[in-house]
Amino acid sequence: MSRLTVEHVARIEGHGTISVEVAGGVVQEIRMDVVEPARLFESMVVGRRFDEAPLITSRICGICSPNHTLTSIKALEAAFDVEVSERTTLLRELLVYGSYLQNHATHLYLLAAPDYVGLPSVFPLAKTHPEVVRRALGLKKLGNDLTALIGGRPVHPVAATIGGFTAEPPRARLDQFTELLHSAARDAADTVELFAGFETPEFETGGEMLALVAPGTYATYDGDVCALDAGWCRPAAEYGQFVDEAVVDHSNAKHATVGGRTYLVGALARVNLSWDRLTPTAKLIAEKAGFARGSRNTFHNNLCQAIELVDCSQRCAHLCESLVDDTGTCTPAGFTVRAGSGRAATEAPRGTLYHGISVDGDGFVTAGDVITPTAQNLANLEADMRAYAPTVAHLPEREFVTAIERLVRAYDPCLSCAVH
Amino acid sequence: MSARVVVVALASDFGCQVQMTNMEDHLLDVLGTFELSYWQLASSGHMPSEYDVAIVEGAVTTGDHVALLERVRATASTLIAIGSCAVSGGIPGLAARGDLTERTRSVYGDTLPAVTHTRAAPAPVSAVVEVDYHVPGCPIEPAEFLAVLRRAFMGLANRPPREPLCAACKIAENACFYEDGLLCLGLVTRTGCEARCVSLGRPCAGCRGIAEDANLPAAREVLVRHGLEPSALDVALDLFNSTSGVR
Repeated sequence: MSRLTVEHVARIEGHGTISVEVAGGVVQEIRMDVVEPARLFESMVVGRRFDEAPLITSRICGICSPNHTLTSIKALEAAFDVEVSERTTLLRELLVYGSYLQNHATHLYLLAAPDYVGLPSVFPLAKTHPEVVRRALGLKKLGNDLTALIGGRPVHPVAATIGGFTAEPPRARLDQFTELLHSAARDAADTVELFAGFETPEFETGGEMLALVAPGTYATYDGDVCALDAGWCRPAAEYGQFVDEAVVDHSNAKHATVGGRTYLVGALARVNLSWDRLTPTAKLIAEKAGFARGSRNTFHNNLCQAIELVDCSQRCAHLCESLVDDTGTCTPAGFTVRAGSGRAATEAPRGTLYHGISVDGDGFVTAGDVITPTAQNLANLEADMRAYAPTVAHLPEREFVTAIERLVRAYDPCLSCAVH
Repeated sequence: MSARVVVVALASDFGCQVQMTNMEDHLLDVLGTFELSYWQLASSGHMPSEYDVAIVEGAVTTGDHVALLERVRATASTLIAIGSCAVSGGIPGLAARGDLTERTRSVYGDTLPAVTHTRAAPAPVSAVVEVDYHVPGCPIEPAEFLAVLRRAFMGLANRPPREPLCAACKIAENACFYEDGLLCLGLVTRTGCEARCVSLGRPCAGCRGIAEDANLPAAREVLVRHGLEPSALDVALDLFNSTSGVR
């Protein structure tokens, strides 16, 4: 029996180690050891004032901090029964979906693409393919600028609060972003073409797929949770009744299942479940790239992120237009602090994010609960690794490792989030 | 020969590393000024045995972190701590309060994962090894990071701002939260963020750490003058400064 370990897998957020055991040329066991140290966020909010919870949980992740902030805020609003204005909802949709530009551009170009061109990082491409790097950084910057426009800065937004926003961008700035986003859609389309051109292994996941779905829009800020295979949809606040979390020995992140099955969240699940709600351009570009709705190929998660970049640029441009035309207010709605509990979800770039919170009559947090996208994906990732490894076991060690790492990166895992 | 730089992450949200990539207009120019020897987030490869500058993000939360930092300190001639977690313990420091075992059980139950065997109460990097340069903030300000990096390459002394935020906030012509009887940590928090949060209508939460020049007893008196409990200052400071060791 020989043992192979890849410590601190590169080009993912957080710390994870792949371990493989091989006997007689056959893969016996393969695991993703999440060595990212326990972070204990759910215990850290306890005893703090309710309005500190979004500030604290934002620090779970430097990439999807807008999602953690807003999901925490939504959970508190559910607990206090706060209704927000239409303008607040529009701004929040823009804050959430705008962050996809930054996340997906970073993952696709900086973290995933080097695998497909045989480079250790994207940086050497700056000399050989400057236009690709310019496009990557341009999309990423636009996402960051948009997040900063709404939230005050690209990481850990400031202006989003319970009931609304403490400040909002001038309409003239929103107007400028409408133009920038419309032109970004072209760079997004080129990104789809680039990733459609990369050779993708033939592989199908055995897992279920879950995502938020909402009528009339490509759901990211709000919606019901729908299951692709099982066909059910349920209110997100009921997540405690359908997501089962379990502590496993080799990971500081818990593993999740739904109805006894491992499952996948993220771009592939969203595109499959909300296919009919993609913008016509995004759908057309996806079809031209050879993507077929209902794909179970985990590696297509990258392509689906690129497809989302197209939908995101166009939808965010429309959101900016709506915000310019809208005359409403996003001044925080008033509310009364009272004992209660709330649960909520949003679609983070990497998949559905759940927050739950309980508050006592004085406004102090008594319990917190967070289930992140990668925590939900880990069990499915391992199931995929077990199914995929035998198909590449014949390769020389280095290529075998690269193939497995490529599968891991297809999930765009965030182990910092997963452990929280 | 250009400096060989490694980027090391302890317990963190990777947000400050993300901020390092969030200077898209300058990223390639900046990367051109040194040799990037190891950065797990952005590149394949292993941590080399020799390098000159180590940029460390995150709080110390395991025995493995301590061992890693000792190795890094013995190797690098310059160690730069970036972000609140590394500089003062930051938000992870909240978990240093109370009983760590109880806290861990409240999240994982009785069957703790075996994968981390050396848990420790969160602490800043400076609690373990000497730090040459600090870049405070949650997250760091990219411009300040670049300025510190430049100072480090040139061998200039570490000069983080010492004053509290209030003066910058006045220059920004913000109304003071205390006038409405609301607590704001700008009174004692290290300046350098251009009072972004206050300018956006949010009181300072203290993410840049307690300023060297801060007068904490005087700040508690300000709270009393505005009808607040003096202890409220310390409760609020615990958010980002539980393990900063200043109070």
